[in-house]
Amino acid sequence: MTDPILRAVHVEKTFAPPQHGGAGVQAVRSVDLEVQRGEFVALTGSSGSGKSTLLHMLGGITRPTAGSVWLEGVDLAALDDAKLAVLRRRRIGFVFQRYNLLPELSLEENVALPLVLDGVAGTAASAAARVALEKVGMAHRASHSPDALSGGEQQRGAIARALVAAPALVLADEPTGALDSVNSRLVVELLHRLVEEQGQTVVLVTHDPGIAAAAGRAIRMADGRIVSDIVRAESRVAAGSPTP
Amino acid sequence: MIFESFRLRHLLLRQWRNRPGRALATALSVAVAVGAVVATWVSADASRIGYRRLTEALDGTPSIDISARAGGRFDVGKLPKLADISGVRAVVPLFFRPTLLRVGEKRVREIAVGVDAQTLAETGLLKLTSGTACVGPDETVLGAALAEGLGKSVGDEVLFFARRGVRRLTVTGIADPASLRWFADGAGVVVDIQALEQMSNALGLVDRVRVALEPNASRPDVLEAAGQRLPETLVAEIPAGRASMAEDVLHSADLGLDFVTGLTVAMAWFIVGNAMLMNVTERRRSLSLVRVLGASAGQIRGFITIEAALLGTLGALVGAGLGLAAARPISAGISRALQAPFSEMVVEPLIVPLAVLMGTLVAIAAAWWPAREAAQIDPLEGLSQAPAPANNQVSWRLLGAAFALWAFAALMLLLVLAERVPPRAAVPAGIAMLLSFVALTPLILPLLARGCACLVPRRFALEGRLALEQILRQPVRTALTTGVLVVAVSNGIGLGHAIRDNVDDVLGWYARMMRADWFLTHAGMVATGQAHAQGSLEAEADLRELSGIARIEVIGIAMGKVAGGAGVIVARDMPDDAPLPLAPVGMEESAVRAALARGEAVAGTVLARRAGIKAGDDVSVEVFGRKTSVRVAALVVDYTSGGASLVMRRDTAKRLFGLESADVLLVTAAEGQADALRAALEKIADRRGMLLRSAVDVRKFIDGIVGGVVGSLWAILGLGFAVGSLGVANTVTMNVLEKKHTIGLLRAVGMTSRQVTAMVVLESLLLGASGAIIGLVSGLVTALFIQWASQPLLGHPIRASFRPSVVVANLLAAVVVTGLAAWLPARRAATIDLLEAVSAE
Ligand SMILES: Nc1ncnc2c1ncn2[C@@H]1O[C@H](COP(=O)(O)OP(=O)(O)O)[C@@H](O)[C@H]1O
Ligand SMILES: [Mg+2]
Repeated sequence: MTDPILRAVHVEKTFAPPQHGGAGVQAVRSVDLEVQRGEFVALTGSSGSGKSTLLHMLGGITRPTAGSVWLEGVDLAALDDAKLAVLRRRRIGFVFQRYNLLPELSLEENVALPLVLDGVAGTAASAAARVALEKVGMAHRASHSPDALSGGEQQRGAIARALVAAPALVLADEPTGALDSVNSRLVVELLHRLVEEQGQTVVLVTHDPGIAAAAGRAIRMADGRIVSDIVRAESRVAAGSPTP
Repeated sequence: MIFESFRLRHLLLRQWRNRPGRALATALSVAVAVGAVVATWVSADASRIGYRRLTEALDGTPSIDISARAGGRFDVGKLPKLADISGVRAVVPLFFRPTLLRVGEKRVREIAVGVDAQTLAETGLLKLTSGTACVGPDETVLGAALAEGLGKSVGDEVLFFARRGVRRLTVTGIADPASLRWFADGAGVVVDIQALEQMSNALGLVDRVRVALEPNASRPDVLEAAGQRLPETLVAEIPAGRASMAEDVLHSADLGLDFVTGLTVAMAWFIVGNAMLMNVTERRRSLSLVRVLGASAGQIRGFITIEAALLGTLGALVGAGLGLAAARPISAGISRALQAPFSEMVVEPLIVPLAVLMGTLVAIAAAWWPAREAAQIDPLEGLSQAPAPANNQVSWRLLGAAFALWAFAALMLLLVLAERVPPRAAVPAGIAMLLSFVALTPLILPLLARGCACLVPRRFALEGRLALEQILRQPVRTALTTGVLVVAVSNGIGLGHAIRDNVDDVLGWYARMMRADWFLTHAGMVATGQAHAQGSLEAEADLRELSGIARIEVIGIAMGKVAGGAGVIVARDMPDDAPLPLAPVGMEESAVRAALARGEAVAGTVLARRAGIKAGDDVSVEVFGRKTSVRVAALVVDYTSGGASLVMRRDTAKRLFGLESADVLLVTAAEGQADALRAALEKIADRRGMLLRSAVDVRKFIDGIVGGVVGSLWAILGLGFAVGSLGVANTVTMNVLEKKHTIGLLRAVGMTSRQVTAMVVLESLLLGASGAIIGLVSGLVTALFIQWASQPLLGHPIRASFRPSVVVANLLAAVVVTGLAAWLPARRAATIDLLEAVSAE
């Protein structure tokens, strides 16, 4: 087996108790996880089971209280804040449930953001953004403000941004949570294409059993732990047909 | 509506408890605004008190004079009652006559002044360094200089030569020179007025009646009130003999203080308005949820209003305390700068309640608009959970408002220039003009901010871009914040220029007029008759015998009437080898010199304005009872007696009026001899009873006044900048808090915390730079405005100059202030918890 692109070793996250008493929350308890390059992982579980928290730790948005996360052989704990930021902009793409785009910028500028942050010249960055928007079928709305886009269009824009820097890993937290079924299908379709055509790795949090079933690997969490981890031989049994 | 809103009080308390920072920031903004008003007000009062003490020290108690319109003495019985006019402290009839004093072999020509010495002493207007006031026909009080010259003290006797023979007078007291100067106009012997009238066969007649004013009375008001009561034959005037160079500096500074105070109030409005606006916009989503749950629009409005009232009152109370605390060191510093003793900070009793009331009312008023906005929030906005839409409509009404304000300002200025309204009316007009610039801010700002953003270094291009978007997205908030900076900067630049130009004008005049190494003056300065002539001519003769002197210029000063009104006649040498000691308005120096040589005169601009004299007019002039017509060749900038002077050559004055006294002797030493002359000059001064001062002393004295005035203004302006920086900090912090999600997202997609810091700092700097540029323009206009407005006061246009140092200092202050203001919000932004930000709320 090749080196995993992503490796989590005994990661735990305990949220400190609030100041005015009460117990702390153990959101993630000792999770071990390896994700191979090109895998499409669906992360499921009931609300509050720790999916988002785990995803945030995998993406370097928050640090585990115990254990370690390795991305492409690099221990995230060894990186300082600035290096972590650079890593996020180059190697990871994020798609959140909503508020993905900055209302201050046009769609194209939003997509180009990781490149611009990385010092890529304006014209090159916007050319790349165009290409990415092309892939998600949103090129015709490039100059629009996010306020003018529908939820599904916004999410497609967010996916374009997640892949513009050709990151190794795309992390998506319920990207279809706020979408109708048609748009959900479109978005999931796009994520699958990333894996197939570009060899990227996707970890996707979802409540939707249909989407989970279409993933190459489905991990179920409960109470902060991984309770099942199923790798399917042949992926995309029912690609793009999430149940409503 | 309000009562229904009370049902929401739990929500209010809950919101405060959940976000104490926001409620606190809002209350604190009100506190800062109210504090600024209180501190500025109290400091301005401290400055005014300091100025007044300074003027009093120079000029004595402020007063007006009543004299006969036709000149000469008048019957005091014709004088109506004046004591009950508000602002009048005492009514003092004065009777003057020349006399001769004999002590042993010494004979001294002197002027005697007849007053009711005892009453005068009781009201504190006559101060005695020793002894008591004179009563009855056989007693006298001597001026300290004269007493020393005669070698007499309390209990001694002097022989007094009057028309009815010689009298033996007992010296009962020695007068303090400053208090003597106030009423005696150069006389050195004080005698009871009835006794002196009797000696002169003039019982019941007086030369003039001097009316002393309360310290805070308005001289123009009293003048007006007295003028209405006087019969045709009498006239009320400002005493001509007041040496008021300092008063002129102080006058423009006083106007400046009014201006600063008014602007601080305006600035406070902006700050409070902005705080209220932000306090509501930040909660749009939760308010819309409350609407979803069934609150009526009226309830929301009431909710916001109640909150504004509570936070406003709290903030105003805290602010009044802060303001008083801040005013103490500032007032003390100002008093020190003005060399006035700082005893107790004077707080007008109404200031604090007024300021608190203002804070509360302004808070409620400022909340009105956002309350209406909040009431109109679409309930769907909360459900859709989209970020609040940007508020992008900048009303063209603003443009209309700007023009209206501008028109008002221009109209007022014209009225002031035409002297239809008093110069003080220029203050609200100036503030209106400045506000017109602030009203234009939302329209100009996008352009300016874009322009400034182009200057951002390429490495910060993205941060600059985002900062710019942030600024443009909240035009109202941005404009209000910039408004605060615009006010601070234009305040600094406008006043800095105006005050400096005024001061320079006065100093320039002084340097022209008093160019010499040494000055010999009579204590009284102003001749009332020919009595002075003798002694001063002797002093001049003494001087002419000294060696080591390059030039002696003699100035004689006499009170008289010019074109029927009071005026000061200045007769001075104008040597051909020295530059003309005058600054003619609109005429060549050589032409003026030639005209003066022909026996013509020049008029000070204030006199010319008051008496309606134009260059080329023939005016009637009366001095020492001699009346003749003199041609006025030109108008000159002059501050002698506040510019109410008619200047001519000494030979002309002697020919026309027999005026040949030497009241001021300017001595220019030969190369390198200035110090060597001191001993000889001191001897002459002693012998002739004159006062010797060196150019260095005089310069130091004047620099002291000027420095104090300028320093006190800067202190108050500095306060404006401090408040401005708090305003910027508040706005940028609110922007950051509101943009938590955006910043979190930026961090998630790879922005480093240093880049976030740069973005916030840039946002602040762009605000600062834009505000500074608008402030620069409006400040320069303000400076011109103040100068135009003070023209009627001074009678001549003051040369307006562009002062890069003032501009640079203010712009630098604006940049530093906004840079510092960004510090806290930048830190806040850089440490925003990524997780908290990206998790859907
Ligand atoms: N910032 C936080 N502070 C305290 N507890 C948190 C925080 N974020 C998440 N939690 C808790 O951690 C647990 C897991 O949350 P999360 O990872 O968001 O679950 P999921 O995404 O699976 O719904 C929940 O019990 C949640 O309340
Ligand atoms: Mg979640």
